[in-house]
Amino acid sequence: MLLDDVKKVVGSALQIGSRMQQMKADAPLLGAVPELDSIAVVNLITALEEHFGIAVADDEIGASTFETLDSLTKFIEGKLSR
Amino acid sequence: MFSAFFLPAESGHRFCIHHPGAPEGARGGIVYAHPFCEEMNKSRRMAALQSRRLAALGYSVLQIDLFGCGDSSGDFADARWEIWKRDLQLALDWLKRRVRGPLALWGLRLGATLAADVARDPGLGLEQLVLWQPVASGEQFLTQFLRLRLAAEMLAEGTARSGVSDLRDSLRNGASLEIAGYDLHPKLASELDSLRLAELVPAVKRVHCLEVSATETAQLSPASERALQGWRSKGLEVRAASVTGEAFWSTIEIAECEALFAATEKSLDGAS
Repeated sequence: MLLDDVKKVVGSALQIGSRMQQMKADAPLLGAVPELDSIAVVNLITALEEHFGIAVADDEIGASTFETLDSLTKFIEGKLSR
Repeated sequence: MFSAFFLPAESGHRFCIHHPGAPEGARGGIVYAHPFCEEMNKSRRMAALQSRRLAALGYSVLQIDLFGCGDSSGDFADARWEIWKRDLQLALDWLKRRVRGPLALWGLRLGATLAADVARDPGLGLEQLVLWQPVASGEQFLTQFLRLRLAAEMLAEGTARSGVSDLRDSLRNGASLEIAGYDLHPKLASELDSLRLAELVPAVKRVHCLEVSATETAQLSPASERALQGWRSKGLEVRAASVTGEAFWSTIEIAECEALFAATEKSLDGAS
């Protein structure tokens, strides 16, 4: 499942693997995960790009993309289907 | 045992840590070049631990804080690539006068790329170059650095106001940018932007390129691999290895990578 894959990448990029496994898809990321500062966001974007072989555009770096695990997974899904 | 001191240099002094290596750096000297901005802070522990381990093996190691970085003189806004190159040369000179054996340069991330650039000078008589996760493309590196500002805007305001291309335009128009607390001068930005590891062919006997990967892989990243192939085609001896571990130069928690220590020591040892 794509959600599990996204969870793995997020968990590894933010070093919160064990906590990530218990997170539900609609659990908020931005503002709720204290590790998510600007450096972590850039690390995460780079990790997602490398893992999924996608390119994230500047205007996609927005709260709507990173709001929840679900929104992030939908975003990746959209990228992969293009 | 190590000693910390200020080395007189252009526009002030540079903070240095010397790990003398027992006995008296019998196996030669190694100068360490740190990475850029926050990556320098994140990797302090790994650099210090590796330096101590190398000293225990008999290498004399010198860590230098480059101009505008760490505890050295200067503001980051005044830092330039050429000053950093001269800083590394100065450190090599200092060590050369105290060590009899062969000299090597070792660098992490952008520090590795800087070390490669410095090592192009055959007059330095360097024997080995050790690259830890080198930055292969300065352009890509600058893009990722500029993204920090977009990410900060997103966290503060929910959306990034600017784009990387806007930020690049501002730099081209001569404006400095504040990124993650660092004042990036347009001159330094353009110097970084034009860096291509493949073009910085070092004049050394041997290059060791070591990378850290979260998953087990025997291969380097494609970008590094391409650059090193170019070096090999010019007749340079390049040994490469990938070890499993965390990207300690960027992780949130300070991380250690034991496998990298072992691989580094094995590389240097196998070569001598």
